[in-house]
Amino acid sequence: MLRRTTLATAALLAAGLLALTACTGGGGETAPTSTGEPDPDASVAIRLVLEPGNLDIRETAGSALDQILVDNIYQGLVARTPEQDIVPALASDWTVSPDGLTYTFTLREGVTFHDGQPLTPQDVVWSLTTRRDTPGWRDSARLANVTSIAADGQDVSLTLSAPDSTLLWNLTGRAGIVLKEGDTVDYKTKANGTGPFVLSDWRQGDSIVFTRNDAYWGDPAAAAEVVFDYIPDNQAALNAALAGEVDVLTGFDANLQEQVEANGDFALELGQSTDKGTLAFNQTSGPLADKRVRQAIRQAIDHDAIIEALASGQTQYGPIPELDPGYEDLSDVAPYDPEAARELLAEADAEDLELTLTIPSFYSTTIPQILVSDLDEVGITLDVNSVDFTTWLTDVYTNKDYELSFVLHTEARDFENWADPDYYFTYDNPEVQDLYAQSLAATDEAEAADLLQQAGRLVAEDHAADWLYNGASVIAVGTNITGMPSINVNERLSIVEIAKSNG
Amino acid sequence: MIRYTLTRLALLLLGLLVASVLIFVTLRVLPGDIASLIAGVGSSTEQQDAIRERLGLDRPLPAQYLDWIGGLFRGDLGTSLLTGTSVVDELAQKAEVTVPLGILSLLIAVVISVPLGVLSAMRRGRADGTALSVGAQALAAVPVVWAGMMLVVVFAVWLGWLPAQGFPRAGWNDPWAALRSLILPALTIGIVEGAMLLRFVRSATLQAVGQDFVRTAAAKGLTRDQALIRHGLPVVGLSVITVLGLQVAGIIVGAVVIEQLFSLPGIGRMLVADVAARDLPKVQGELLALTGFVLIVGFVVDLLHRVIDPRQREAS
Repeated sequence: MLRRTTLATAALLAAGLLALTACTGGGGETAPTSTGEPDPDASVAIRLVLEPGNLDIRETAGSALDQILVDNIYQGLVARTPEQDIVPALASDWTVSPDGLTYTFTLREGVTFHDGQPLTPQDVVWSLTTRRDTPGWRDSARLANVTSIAADGQDVSLTLSAPDSTLLWNLTGRAGIVLKEGDTVDYKTKANGTGPFVLSDWRQGDSIVFTRNDAYWGDPAAAAEVVFDYIPDNQAALNAALAGEVDVLTGFDANLQEQVEANGDFALELGQSTDKGTLAFNQTSGPLADKRVRQAIRQAIDHDAIIEALASGQTQYGPIPELDPGYEDLSDVAPYDPEAARELLAEADAEDLELTLTIPSFYSTTIPQILVSDLDEVGITLDVNSVDFTTWLTDVYTNKDYELSFVLHTEARDFENWADPDYYFTYDNPEVQDLYAQSLAATDEAEAADLLQQAGRLVAEDHAADWLYNGASVIAVGTNITGMPSINVNERLSIVEIAKSNG
Repeated sequence: MIRYTLTRLALLLLGLLVASVLIFVTLRVLPGDIASLIAGVGSSTEQQDAIRERLGLDRPLPAQYLDWIGGLFRGDLGTSLLTGTSVVDELAQKAEVTVPLGILSLLIAVVISVPLGVLSAMRRGRADGTALSVGAQALAAVPVVWAGMMLVVVFAVWLGWLPAQGFPRAGWNDPWAALRSLILPALTIGIVEGAMLLRFVRSATLQAVGQDFVRTAAAKGLTRDQALIRHGLPVVGLSVITVLGLQVAGIIVGAVVIEQLFSLPGIGRMLVADVAARDLPKVQGELLALTGFVLIVGFVVDLLHRVIDPRQREAS
C-alpha cells in the first residue's frame, strides 16, 4: 500500500506541459488574481516534492537544492529569469570582449552576506577559482577553460582560453555561486549567502523555512517568511491545500485539476519547463545498436497519448526543448506509425524482440504502461525493471548496464550530454560533437543556437533516444497569492516576489 | 526469578547482536550507493570514487562493522553520511513524533478493543454482539492508508477540525497543536489495530467463560457476567498484555505508512528516506533502535507475565 502511495506521489515528477499556454499570462509571473492588499508580514507555505538530503550547495547534486537555494539564498554575478533570460545579480553590469575571451563584471557595492560580512571582489575571485579547482564541487568543469579570475577595484574579470558561449548561462547556476572566503559555516545544515532570504530553520524530513533578509541589497522580498513543506504524496498535498495548510502546490498532477479547483481557493497553472522525459537506448551493442530498431521503437510510441494521460506537457521529438536555444519542431523525424515500425523491425530482422526498461521507482506507472502496450503492438515485449534511484544511478548511469531507461532530465541547456560519448546515453557521433564544439566557440548567440539546432536534428535523425514528452511545471496557486513563477519551477523557484493577501 | 531474568536478558542481548549482523549484511547486499547520489547525474566515476573514499565506504566490511559495533557500546550510532549529523540526535528528534504517535495509537486500540471485545463476547449470540464482531472483522480488514484518507477527508477537509498533515514547527513547545496533529494519524492506526485486538479480546473472553474457576464462581451464586468480570477478566488481561507486546511491532509498521501519508517528520518517514538515499549508517542505527525496542518490549512482557501470573512462577 505504501508503495502504491509513493508511486502515485511521483506522478507529478512525470508531469508535462500543457497546450493551455493561454493560462500563463505572458511570461513567468502569474496574473494577480487577488483583490486584497499584499500583507508584508505574511508567511507563505509552498508544497515541494523532493527534499534535499543536505544543503551543501558546493558538493551535493540534485535539483532539489538548486530549486530553493540559488537566487533565494545564494547568488552569483548573474542570474536567470523564469523566462530563461540572463540578468544582472551581484554584478550590476558586464562586458564581453569582441574575441569572446574576456568577461568583465562590475560588482555591486554595499552587498553583505547574511551574517553581516561584506561581499568583496576577492570573495568572487576566491569562489570562482575554488569552484574551478575543486573537482569535488558541483559543476567545477563548467569553468575549466577559465584561465584567470582577477579583481581590479570593483571589477572582476574572467579570461578564457577559448570562447565559451555557455559561460554566462553557467554562471547563473551552481558554477557561479559566490560564497564568503574563509567562511566556516557547516554548509550541510546552514547557509550564508547574499540573497533576499535567510535560511532560518530546517526540520529534516519535514520543512525548510526562509525569512526575509532585511539587509538585502535589492528590492526586499514581498513575504516575511516562506515555508517549504515537503509533501511527496499528491493526495496528501491536495488534502493539505483543501484544508488551507499550504498556499501553493508545485509538482502537482494536472489530472487532479478539478479537485483542487473545486472550492475556488486554488487555480491550476501550467508553465513551460525544460523537463525532458527521456527514453535512453543503450546503443553500444545488441539490437539497439541497429538504427532501424531504434527508429521502430520511436515510431511505435503514441506520444500524443502520453500527453493526454499526463494531462499536461507537449511532445518533443528531439533533444532540445522549446525553452532552450536551438529548438526546432522535429515531429517529422519519427511520427507515430506502428505499421512502419513493424516493417523496420522486419527489415532489421528483429521480430519478437524482448527488451528491458530500467526505470526509477518514484515515477508514475503511466509511462511504462503506455510503453509496454505500444511496443507490444509491434511485436516487442517490454520487461519493466523498477529500481530505486540510487540503484538506477549505479547500474544505468555509472555502469551503463541497461537496454532502455526512462528518466526525466530536468536541466536546462544540457545538450552537452549528446556530445559526450561517455555519457550513459552511449551516443557517439563525431559530427554532433564537432557541431557542439563549434557552438561553444561561437561568439554570436544566434550562431551558437543555429549550430545547436543542426546538431539537435542529427541526434534526432540518428534516433539516439526517444523523447516521450516535454513536461510542464504544474502548480496550484492560492487565489490570494501573487508573484508565483510558473516556468520551470522544478529546476529553479525564485520566491522574492511571492506575496500573500488576507483578502 | 533472578535466574530467569538473567537468562532472558542474555537472550535479549544475543538477539540484538544477531540483529546487528543481519542488518549490516543485508544493507550491503542492496544495489546502489550514496556516493553516486551525492555526486549525481553529471558526475564522473572518479568523482564518485573520491566521495566514497572520503566517506570511508571503500574500507573492508568487517572493519566497518566493528567500527559501528564499537561505537554502539559508547552509545554512538555513528553519523549520517548525507547530513553529517549524529544518528542518535536525529533518532531522538524524530522519536518526539513517533513515540507519542505509538503510545496514542496503542491507547486508542486498547480503549476500543477491551470493552467492546468483552461486550461482544458477553453478548454472543445476540444481535448486538454479532454486529460488533462482524464490524470488527470488517474494520480489521481495512487498509491503513484508506482509513487515514477517509479520516482526513471527513475531519480535516470537510469539517476542518484537525490538521490534514504535518507536525507543528514548534513541536511540543506548542503541546496542543502537536497533539492535534497526531490525533488523526493515531486514530487511523488505533482503529485498525484496535479492531484486530478486539477479535482477540473476544475470543480470550469466551475462553475464560469456559474455564473451571469461572464456572465454580458462578456456581457459588454469582451471575455469569459477574463471575466473568471478577474472575475471568484478570486472565484475559494477562493474554492481552502478551498480544499488546506483539502489537507494538504492528504499530511501528503502521507508523512507517502513516507518517508518509500524514507527512509527519517521524522515525518511519526518516527510515524510508534514508533507505532511498542509501545513508547506511543512519538506516543501520534506525533499524537497530527499532529492533531493540521490539525486543525490549518482548522482554518486559515476559517478565510482567511471570510477576503477575502465579501459575508460571510455580512452573519454574
